[in-house]
Amino acid sequence: MKRFLILTKSLALIQLRNGAILFWNFAFPVLLMFIYGVVMSEYMKYMTPGVIVLNALSFGLVGSSTMMLELREKSILRRLQATTLPAWQLITSYLLVNIVIGVIQSTLILVMGAVFYEVPVSTTSLFLAYPMIIVSLLTFMSLGGIISGVSPKAGTATAVGMTIYFLLMFISDMVFPVSTLPDNVKDIVPYLPAYPAVQLVRSALLDATLDEKWVTYILLLAAYGFVATLIASRLFRWEPKA
Amino acid sequence: MSQNLVIDIENVTAAYGALTALNGVSLSVQKGEIFGLLGPNGAGKSTLLACVEGLHTPLQGSVHVGGSNVQHEPMSAKKRLGIQLQKTALLDDLTVAELVEVYAALYEVFLTKAQIDTLLKRFDLLEKRNTLARRLSGGQQQRLSLAVAIANDPEIILLDEPTSALDPHARRAVWNEIRKMHDEGRTIVLTTHAMEEAEALCGRIAIIDGGEIVACDTPTALIASLNLNATLKATVELPLEQVYDLPHVNSARYSGQHLEVETSKPEETMSALQGLAAKSGRSIRDVMLRQPNLEDVFLKLTGRQLSEIG
Repeated sequence: MKRFLILTKSLALIQLRNGAILFWNFAFPVLLMFIYGVVMSEYMKYMTPGVIVLNALSFGLVGSSTMMLELREKSILRRLQATTLPAWQLITSYLLVNIVIGVIQSTLILVMGAVFYEVPVSTTSLFLAYPMIIVSLLTFMSLGGIISGVSPKAGTATAVGMTIYFLLMFISDMVFPVSTLPDNVKDIVPYLPAYPAVQLVRSALLDATLDEKWVTYILLLAAYGFVATLIASRLFRWEPKA
Repeated sequence: MSQNLVIDIENVTAAYGALTALNGVSLSVQKGEIFGLLGPNGAGKSTLLACVEGLHTPLQGSVHVGGSNVQHEPMSAKKRLGIQLQKTALLDDLTVAELVEVYAALYEVFLTKAQIDTLLKRFDLLEKRNTLARRLSGGQQQRLSLAVAIANDPEIILLDEPTSALDPHARRAVWNEIRKMHDEGRTIVLTTHAMEEAEALCGRIAIIDGGEIVACDTPTALIASLNLNATLKATVELPLEQVYDLPHVNSARYSGQHLEVETSKPEETMSALQGLAAKSGRSIRDVMLRQPNLEDVFLKLTGRQLSEIG
């Protein structure tokens, strides 16, 4: 346990000491809320849960995998592999640090929404919303794990992650309502990973209740997370591709 | 396995895709040795170390560390090892002290602040304890990677090119640290393509080329076994045919004004050369004697010069 704690502290310190990571993880989400607020101020109450999921999606698909890829590219993972550290402890520690960062990001956005855009905040809504945010983060990070597994370099992973991110951003009810989408797209949207996350977080935050289909949505996210974790663990590499 | 045998490599073949990196390599390292793997870049030295470290799985053969099979009991083998990879690969957004703490902890060795400071003092890094690793100079980073390599107090230390890219001063500082580790009773295996490093540090050397061990012995025995010639160099003008007739001379040539004579008994040849010069009324200046070294051994065994291809 002590090894796990020291490793987790070290991974957290690495994140906190990197200016680029700090900007993209903590300043950028706040900036994003300002930009959305300027462009679409009257919709911000409705959009804030979508922005939280959007940010979790970006962090899961791109942000969280970047550090792992950098560790791999710099041969640091290989050096860790030479120690007696079990892989599961490294992954768990890494996930823990990233979940905490993701939760802090979500909290920053939520505070912005509550202060500037009348997003209602109550004990019940927070109690319901945070587990949904964490489940969403875990699912998106698992998907990010697949991307980092198949990508030879951090740059490739960012490009792949951002492509999927933008695609999901426009069709998952995050910033544009599903009703505005073409009929054939509408049919597949409910099965995409970001859609159930948005519904769960939105109903929890705005209505302080669980969506009526919450079990389905949770199961869908869990299924995505489970399958993605299996694939990501098969694709996990300690070393860069030769 | 004998009690003194700490690393046993048997018939190891390893490859990267279609490229064979090691071909049936066998060797053993005894407790308390400084053992060198000498060879040019791409010879297979790092792959061999990676097989011992459990970082590369051989296609065939076995590697035992302290009696534990690296493939079947990796944790048991790894806990005996301290590692320095060729490319310094540390979590360099951590401070020097944090790095030592975390790398020791990865082996479930938990150092106190006093123990960390003692280790850093030994490697002349105490003043840098709160400096981020990425802000250290090359020599300091190399010393830090050595400190990290022994943070878990290992019996065996594997050093891959420990002094590559270091200036002579920093290189000698690292050599001193390696000798100190050896004096503590640790077994050290290092790779190098610098023959002077191998001669300066290693009790035994395996010369590796093209993924195969071409020779393995003490530096002295390797040199002696091949009956290599010493080279006498002097500034003197004498007919080459007369030089050839001197005792024990195997070859002679002029390089500019310098006569170069290869001889199996340099003292006797030198004496005869002085006699010949006196008889011819010539003076001998700038006399130098170069004894055969590992470079000559490598040349003799592989037909290539290590310094040119390393």
